[in-house]
Amino acid sequence: MRTLLWLLSGVLLGIVIHIGMILGLPGLATTTVWSRIAALGPPDKAILLPQPAPGMPNPLQLDPDLTYAVCRVDLAAGPGVVSGMLPDAYWSLAIFNKAGSVVYSTTNRDGIGQNLNLGIFNADQTHLLAEQRIEVADGLLIVESHDNDVFVVVRLAPPHQAERPRYEAALSKIACGNIKS
Amino acid sequence: MRFLFHLLSMIVVALVVGFGLSYYALNDGRLIGAVRVGPWSAWPGSGSSSPDPYTRAYIARTGALQLGQGEGITFTATGDNEGRPLDRSCRYRIAGTTPVASFWTLRATDAQGGDIARPDGQQALRSRNVARANDGSLVLYVSRSLAPDNWLEITGKGPFELVLTLYDPSNLSGVGVAVQSLPAIFREACGA
Repeated sequence: MRTLLWLLSGVLLGIVIHIGMILGLPGLATTTVWSRIAALGPPDKAILLPQPAPGMPNPLQLDPDLTYAVCRVDLAAGPGVVSGMLPDAYWSLAIFNKAGSVVYSTTNRDGIGQNLNLGIFNADQTHLLAEQRIEVADGLLIVESHDNDVFVVVRLAPPHQAERPRYEAALSKIACGNIKS
Repeated sequence: MRFLFHLLSMIVVALVVGFGLSYYALNDGRLIGAVRVGPWSAWPGSGSSSPDPYTRAYIARTGALQLGQGEGITFTATGDNEGRPLDRSCRYRIAGTTPVASFWTLRATDAQGGDIARPDGQQALRSRNVARANDGSLVLYVSRSLAPDNWLEITGKGPFELVLTLYDPSNLSGVGVAVQSLPAIFREACGA
Protein backbone atom coordinates (compact mmCIF):
# COMPACT_ATOMS: atom_id res chain seq x y z
CA MET A 1 0.00 0.00 0.00
CA ARG A 2 2.80 2.37 0.90
CA THR A 3 4.61 1.54 -2.34
CA LEU A 4 1.45 2.34 -4.27
CA LEU A 5 1.24 5.73 -2.58
CA TRP A 6 4.84 6.48 -3.53
CA LEU A 7 4.13 5.53 -7.14
CA LEU A 8 0.98 7.63 -7.16
CA SER A 9 3.04 10.53 -5.85
CA GLY A 10 5.42 9.93 -8.74
CA VAL A 11 2.57 10.14 -11.24
CA LEU A 12 1.33 13.39 -9.68
CA LEU A 13 4.84 14.84 -9.70
CA GLY A 14 5.14 13.74 -13.34
CA ILE A 15 1.98 15.63 -14.23
CA VAL A 16 3.42 18.72 -12.52
CA ILE A 17 6.64 18.30 -14.55
CA HIS A 18 4.57 17.90 -17.71
CA ILE A 19 2.56 21.08 -17.07
CA GLY A 20 5.75 22.94 -16.21
CA MET A 21 7.38 21.80 -19.45
CA ILE A 22 4.41 22.76 -21.60
CA LEU A 23 4.13 26.20 -20.00
CA GLY A 24 7.87 26.80 -19.82
CA LEU A 25 8.92 25.60 -23.26
CA PRO A 26 7.99 28.80 -25.18
CA GLY A 27 10.16 30.87 -22.83
CA LEU A 28 13.05 28.42 -22.75
CA ALA A 29 13.33 27.66 -26.48
CA THR A 30 16.49 29.21 -27.90
CA THR A 31 15.93 28.49 -31.60
CA THR A 32 12.56 29.96 -32.45
CA VAL A 33 10.98 31.15 -35.65
CA TRP A 34 11.79 34.72 -34.55
CA SER A 35 15.50 33.95 -34.07
CA ARG A 36 15.59 32.22 -37.44
CA ILE A 37 13.96 35.16 -39.21
CA ALA A 38 16.15 37.68 -37.34
CA ALA A 39 19.25 35.81 -38.50
CA LEU A 40 18.28 36.28 -42.15
CA GLY A 41 18.92 40.00 -42.33
CA PRO A 42 18.16 43.49 -41.03
CA PRO A 43 14.68 44.77 -40.20
CA ASP A 44 12.66 47.11 -42.45
CA LYS A 45 13.66 45.18 -45.54
CA ALA A 46 11.84 42.48 -47.49
CA ILE A 47 14.05 39.40 -47.54
CA LEU A 48 13.44 36.56 -49.97
CA LEU A 49 13.62 33.13 -48.42
CA PRO A 50 15.64 30.68 -50.54
CA GLN A 51 13.74 27.75 -51.98
CA PRO A 52 14.41 24.68 -49.81
CA ALA A 53 16.67 22.33 -51.75
CA PRO A 54 15.97 18.59 -51.85
CA GLY A 55 17.86 16.69 -49.20
CA MET A 56 18.74 19.84 -47.26
CA PRO A 57 17.30 20.85 -43.87
CA ASN A 58 14.15 22.94 -44.01
CA PRO A 59 13.81 24.29 -40.46
CA LEU A 60 11.14 26.84 -41.38
CA GLN A 61 9.20 24.05 -43.13
CA LEU A 62 8.74 26.07 -46.29
CA ASP A 63 6.67 24.70 -49.14
CA PRO A 64 9.08 24.46 -52.11
CA ASP A 65 6.20 25.22 -54.45
CA LEU A 66 5.80 28.75 -53.07
CA THR A 67 8.00 31.84 -52.87
CA TYR A 68 8.35 33.68 -49.58
CA ALA A 69 9.37 37.14 -48.43
CA VAL A 70 9.71 38.17 -44.80
CA CYS A 71 10.15 41.55 -43.17
CA ARG A 72 10.75 42.47 -39.55
CA VAL A 73 9.27 45.68 -38.19
CA ASP A 74 9.64 47.35 -34.80
CA LEU A 75 6.44 49.21 -34.03
CA ALA A 76 8.19 51.14 -31.26
CA ALA A 77 9.71 53.22 -34.07
CA GLY A 78 6.30 53.97 -35.56
CA PRO A 79 3.46 52.17 -37.27
CA GLY A 80 4.62 49.51 -39.70
CA VAL A 81 3.79 49.49 -43.36
CA VAL A 82 4.21 46.80 -46.01
CA SER A 83 3.31 47.67 -49.58
CA GLY A 84 3.84 46.49 -53.10
CA MET A 85 2.26 45.24 -56.29
CA LEU A 86 2.16 41.49 -56.64
CA PRO A 87 1.55 39.32 -59.71
CA ASP A 88 -1.93 38.10 -60.50
CA ALA A 89 -1.67 34.80 -58.63
CA TYR A 90 -2.61 33.43 -55.24
CA TRP A 91 -0.79 35.13 -52.39
CA SER A 92 -1.30 35.40 -48.69
CA LEU A 93 0.26 37.23 -45.79
CA ALA A 94 0.62 36.61 -42.10
CA ILE A 95 1.85 38.84 -39.30
CA PHE A 96 3.75 37.01 -36.55
CA ASN A 97 4.75 38.21 -33.11
CA LYS A 98 8.00 37.33 -31.38
CA ALA A 99 6.47 34.19 -29.84
CA GLY A 100 5.74 32.86 -33.32
CA SER A 101 1.96 33.28 -33.04
CA VAL A 102 0.05 34.62 -36.02
CA VAL A 103 -1.43 38.01 -35.15
CA TYR A 104 -3.29 38.35 -38.43
CA SER A 105 -3.51 36.55 -41.75
CA THR A 106 -5.37 36.94 -45.00
CA THR A 107 -5.23 36.04 -48.67
CA ASN A 108 -5.68 38.04 -51.83
CA ARG A 109 -8.99 36.23 -52.31
CA ASP A 110 -10.37 38.48 -49.58
CA GLY A 111 -10.85 41.27 -52.13
CA ILE A 112 -7.35 42.74 -51.84
CA GLY A 113 -6.38 41.88 -55.41
CA GLN A 114 -2.81 42.54 -56.48
CA ASN A 115 -2.17 45.54 -54.24
CA LEU A 116 -0.49 44.81 -50.97
CA ASN A 117 -0.97 47.80 -48.70
CA LEU A 118 -0.82 46.87 -45.05
CA GLY A 119 -0.43 49.03 -41.96
CA ILE A 120 0.46 47.53 -38.58
CA PHE A 121 -0.31 49.57 -35.49
CA ASN A 122 0.20 48.91 -31.82
CA ALA A 123 -2.56 49.81 -29.35
CA ASP A 124 -1.31 53.37 -28.73
CA GLN A 125 -0.92 54.05 -32.43
CA THR A 126 -4.41 52.70 -33.13
CA HIS A 127 -5.69 55.14 -30.53
CA LEU A 128 -3.88 58.01 -32.26
CA LEU A 129 -5.21 56.84 -35.59
CA ALA A 130 -8.75 56.90 -34.27
CA GLU A 131 -8.16 60.48 -33.16
CA GLN A 132 -6.79 61.25 -36.65
CA ARG A 133 -3.44 62.23 -35.20
CA ILE A 134 -1.67 59.86 -37.58
CA GLU A 135 -2.12 60.28 -41.31
CA VAL A 136 -2.23 57.20 -43.46
CA ALA A 137 -2.73 56.63 -47.15
CA ASP A 138 -6.19 55.72 -48.45
CA GLY A 139 -6.81 52.02 -48.84
CA LEU A 140 -4.37 50.99 -46.14
CA LEU A 141 -5.43 47.71 -44.53
CA ILE A 142 -5.00 48.41 -40.83
CA VAL A 143 -4.10 45.66 -38.39
CA GLU A 144 -3.53 46.09 -34.68
CA SER A 145 -0.79 44.21 -32.90
CA HIS A 146 -0.36 43.91 -29.14
CA ASP A 147 3.38 43.42 -29.61
CA ASN A 148 5.93 45.86 -31.03
CA ASP A 149 8.22 43.18 -32.43
CA VAL A 150 6.51 41.65 -35.43
CA PHE A 151 7.41 40.19 -38.79
CA VAL A 152 5.34 39.82 -41.92
CA VAL A 153 5.46 36.81 -44.21
CA VAL A 154 4.16 37.07 -47.77
CA ARG A 155 3.58 33.79 -49.57
CA LEU A 156 3.21 33.83 -53.33
CA ALA A 157 2.29 30.84 -55.46
CA PRO A 158 3.71 30.90 -59.00
CA PRO A 159 1.43 28.94 -61.35
CA HIS A 160 4.51 27.26 -62.81
CA GLN A 161 8.02 26.88 -61.45
CA ALA A 162 9.41 28.38 -64.67
CA GLU A 163 7.85 31.68 -63.57
CA ARG A 164 9.47 31.56 -60.18
CA PRO A 165 12.22 34.16 -60.93
CA ARG A 166 9.62 36.72 -62.02
CA TYR A 167 7.57 36.13 -58.90
CA GLU A 168 10.63 36.33 -56.68
CA ALA A 169 11.55 39.63 -58.32
CA ALA A 170 8.09 40.99 -57.51
CA LEU A 171 8.39 39.87 -53.89
CA SER A 172 11.81 41.46 -53.50
CA LYS A 173 10.33 44.83 -54.51
CA ILE A 174 7.98 44.90 -51.55
CA ALA A 175 8.54 48.01 -49.44
CA CYS A 176 8.60 47.51 -45.72
CA GLY A 177 9.35 49.70 -42.73
CA ASN A 178 7.79 52.33 -40.48
CA ILE A 179 5.40 55.11 -41.41
CA LYS A 180 7.34 58.33 -41.05
CA SER A 181 5.49 61.04 -39.15
CA MET B 1 16.93 1.45 2.48
CA ARG B 2 13.25 0.96 1.83
CA PHE B 3 12.70 4.71 1.90
CA LEU B 4 15.47 5.22 -0.64
CA PHE B 5 13.91 2.62 -2.93
CA HIS B 6 10.51 4.31 -2.71
CA LEU B 7 12.04 7.72 -3.34
CA LEU B 8 13.94 6.50 -6.39
CA SER B 9 10.83 4.75 -7.73
CA MET B 10 8.82 7.93 -7.33
CA ILE B 11 11.46 10.02 -9.13
CA VAL B 12 11.69 7.53 -12.01
CA VAL B 13 7.90 7.43 -12.38
CA ALA B 14 7.74 11.24 -12.23
CA LEU B 15 10.41 11.67 -14.91
CA VAL B 16 8.90 9.03 -17.20
CA VAL B 17 5.40 10.48 -16.84
CA GLY B 18 6.54 14.13 -17.08
CA PHE B 19 8.89 13.87 -20.03
CA GLY B 20 7.04 11.02 -21.74
CA LEU B 21 3.73 12.81 -21.62
CA SER B 22 5.31 16.02 -22.92
CA TYR B 23 7.08 14.24 -25.77
CA TYR B 24 3.93 12.36 -26.69
CA ALA B 25 1.77 15.47 -26.53
CA LEU B 26 4.06 17.59 -28.70
CA ASN B 27 4.95 14.92 -31.25
CA ASP B 28 1.71 13.08 -31.62
CA GLY B 29 -0.55 15.83 -30.41
CA ARG B 30 -3.36 13.42 -29.81
CA LEU B 31 -3.90 14.54 -26.25
CA ILE B 32 -4.69 18.20 -26.73
CA GLY B 33 -4.22 20.67 -29.54
CA ALA B 34 -4.05 18.54 -32.66
CA VAL B 35 -6.79 17.06 -34.80
CA ARG B 36 -6.53 13.74 -36.54
CA VAL B 37 -8.27 12.65 -39.71
CA GLY B 38 -7.29 9.07 -40.53
CA PRO B 39 -3.49 8.99 -40.70
CA TRP B 40 -3.28 12.79 -40.99
CA SER B 41 -2.78 15.16 -38.10
CA ALA B 42 -2.75 18.95 -37.90
CA TRP B 43 -2.47 21.71 -35.31
CA PRO B 44 -5.29 24.08 -36.31
CA GLY B 45 -4.57 26.40 -33.40
CA SER B 46 -1.01 27.03 -34.58
CA GLY B 47 -2.30 29.70 -36.95
CA SER B 48 -4.47 31.49 -34.42
CA SER B 49 -3.64 34.67 -32.55
CA SER B 50 -4.25 33.03 -29.17
CA PRO B 51 -3.09 29.42 -29.28
CA ASP B 52 -3.62 27.12 -26.32
CA PRO B 53 -0.58 26.25 -24.15
CA TYR B 54 0.05 22.96 -25.95
CA THR B 55 -0.02 24.65 -29.34
CA ARG B 56 2.27 27.42 -28.02
CA ALA B 57 4.73 24.76 -26.89
CA TYR B 58 4.44 23.04 -30.27
CA ILE B 59 5.15 26.34 -32.08
CA ALA B 60 8.19 26.94 -29.87
CA ARG B 61 9.49 23.42 -30.37
CA THR B 62 9.16 23.39 -34.17
CA GLY B 63 10.32 26.97 -34.83
CA ALA B 64 8.59 26.79 -38.20
CA LEU B 65 6.59 29.34 -40.18
CA GLN B 66 3.05 28.30 -39.43
CA LEU B 67 0.19 29.07 -41.77
CA GLY B 68 -2.25 31.60 -40.37
CA GLN B 69 -5.84 30.46 -39.94
CA GLY B 70 -6.82 32.72 -42.81
CA GLU B 71 -4.19 31.17 -45.06
CA GLY B 72 -4.66 27.44 -44.71
CA ILE B 73 -3.72 24.37 -42.77
CA THR B 74 -1.02 21.72 -42.94
CA PHE B 75 -1.65 18.04 -42.34
CA THR B 76 1.17 15.60 -41.69
CA ALA B 77 1.14 11.81 -41.90
CA THR B 78 3.86 9.59 -40.52
CA GLY B 79 2.01 6.35 -41.13
CA ASP B 80 -0.42 4.70 -43.52
CA ASN B 81 -4.09 3.96 -42.90
CA GLU B 82 -3.19 0.83 -40.98
CA GLY B 83 -0.84 2.70 -38.68
CA ARG B 84 2.39 1.37 -40.16
CA PRO B 85 5.20 3.96 -40.37
CA LEU B 86 5.86 5.32 -43.86
CA ASP B 87 8.95 3.68 -45.35
CA ARG B 88 10.78 4.88 -48.44
CA SER B 89 11.26 1.32 -49.69
CA CYS B 90 7.49 0.99 -50.17
CA ARG B 91 5.12 2.40 -52.75
CA TYR B 92 2.16 4.35 -51.36
CA ARG B 93 -1.14 5.01 -53.05
CA ILE B 94 -2.97 8.07 -51.77
CA ALA B 95 -6.56 7.98 -52.85
CA GLY B 96 -9.75 9.87 -52.13
CA THR B 97 -10.83 13.48 -52.08
CA THR B 98 -9.50 16.64 -50.53
CA PRO B 99 -11.47 19.44 -48.86
CA VAL B 100 -12.30 22.44 -51.03
CA ALA B 101 -9.32 24.80 -51.17
CA SER B 102 -7.76 27.26 -53.61
CA PHE B 103 -5.06 24.66 -54.11
CA TRP B 104 -3.03 22.12 -52.19
CA THR B 105 0.44 20.67 -52.31
CA LEU B 106 1.68 17.26 -51.24
CA ARG B 107 5.34 16.74 -50.46
CA ALA B 108 7.47 14.09 -48.85
CA THR B 109 9.97 15.01 -46.16
CA ASP B 110 12.31 13.45 -43.66
CA ALA B 111 11.73 13.90 -39.93
CA GLN B 112 13.58 17.24 -40.00
CA GLY B 113 11.34 18.64 -42.75
CA GLY B 114 13.95 18.22 -45.51
CA ASP B 115 12.47 17.45 -48.89
CA ILE B 116 13.21 13.90 -50.10
CA ALA B 117 11.84 14.23 -53.65
CA ARG B 118 14.21 13.45 -56.52
CA PRO B 119 16.44 16.54 -56.83
CA ASP B 120 15.85 17.07 -60.56
CA GLY B 121 12.19 16.14 -60.43
CA GLN B 122 9.12 17.90 -59.07
CA GLN B 123 9.43 18.63 -55.38
CA ALA B 124 5.70 18.47 -54.68
CA LEU B 125 2.46 17.39 -56.25
CA ARG B 126 0.12 20.29 -56.75
CA SER B 127 -3.66 20.13 -57.11
CA ARG B 128 -3.66 22.09 -60.36
CA ASN B 129 -1.31 19.66 -62.03
CA VAL B 130 -2.76 16.30 -61.04
CA ALA B 131 -5.14 14.18 -63.09
CA ARG B 132 -8.49 13.38 -61.46
CA ALA B 133 -11.34 10.99 -62.06
CA ASN B 134 -14.69 12.29 -63.30
CA ASP B 135 -16.06 12.41 -59.76
CA GLY B 136 -13.20 14.62 -58.61
CA SER B 137 -11.38 11.90 -56.68
CA LEU B 138 -7.70 11.45 -57.17
CA VAL B 139 -5.02 8.82 -56.97
CA LEU B 140 -1.47 9.83 -56.13
CA TYR B 141 1.60 7.65 -55.82
CA VAL B 142 4.65 8.30 -53.70
CA SER B 143 7.55 5.92 -54.22
CA ARG B 144 11.14 5.49 -55.34
CA SER B 145 10.09 3.18 -58.18
CA LEU B 146 8.09 4.13 -61.26
CA ALA B 147 4.37 4.53 -60.61
CA PRO B 148 1.38 5.35 -62.83
CA ASP B 149 -0.82 8.46 -62.83
CA ASN B 150 0.30 11.20 -60.47
CA TRP B 151 3.70 10.22 -59.16
CA LEU B 152 5.97 11.90 -56.64
CA GLU B 153 9.36 10.29 -56.89
CA ILE B 154 11.32 10.13 -53.66
CA THR B 155 14.88 9.12 -52.82
CA GLY B 156 16.84 7.62 -49.96
CA LYS B 157 16.12 5.06 -47.28
CA GLY B 158 14.27 4.98 -43.99
CA PRO B 159 11.11 6.56 -42.65
CA PHE B 160 9.50 9.67 -44.08
CA GLU B 161 6.50 11.93 -43.68
CA LEU B 162 3.84 13.19 -46.05
CA VAL B 163 2.86 16.85 -45.77
CA LEU B 164 -0.45 17.94 -47.27
CA THR B 165 -0.99 21.70 -47.22
CA LEU B 166 -4.40 23.14 -48.03
CA TYR B 167 -4.21 26.79 -49.05
CA ASP B 168 -7.24 28.97 -48.48
CA PRO B 169 -9.56 26.08 -47.63
CA SER B 170 -13.07 27.48 -47.66
CA ASN B 171 -14.43 25.20 -44.96
CA LEU B 172 -11.50 25.54 -42.58
CA SER B 173 -11.32 29.29 -42.14
CA GLY B 174 -12.52 30.56 -38.82
CA VAL B 175 -12.38 28.94 -35.48
CA GLY B 176 -13.18 25.34 -36.18
CA VAL B 177 -11.84 22.56 -38.32
CA ALA B 178 -14.50 20.68 -40.20
CA VAL B 179 -12.57 18.31 -42.40
CA GLN B 180 -14.87 15.53 -43.46
CA SER B 181 -12.35 13.53 -45.38
CA LEU B 182 -8.75 13.48 -46.44
CA PRO B 183 -7.26 10.98 -48.86
CA ALA B 184 -6.37 7.58 -47.46
CA ILE B 185 -2.80 6.27 -47.57
CA PHE B 186 -2.39 2.66 -48.70
CA ARG B 187 0.89 0.78 -48.64
CA GLU B 188 1.54 -1.28 -51.75
CA ALA B 189 4.66 -3.17 -52.75
CA CYS B 190 7.73 -2.84 -50.55
CA GLY B 191 11.39 -3.52 -51.19
CA ALA B 192 11.61 -1.72 -54.52
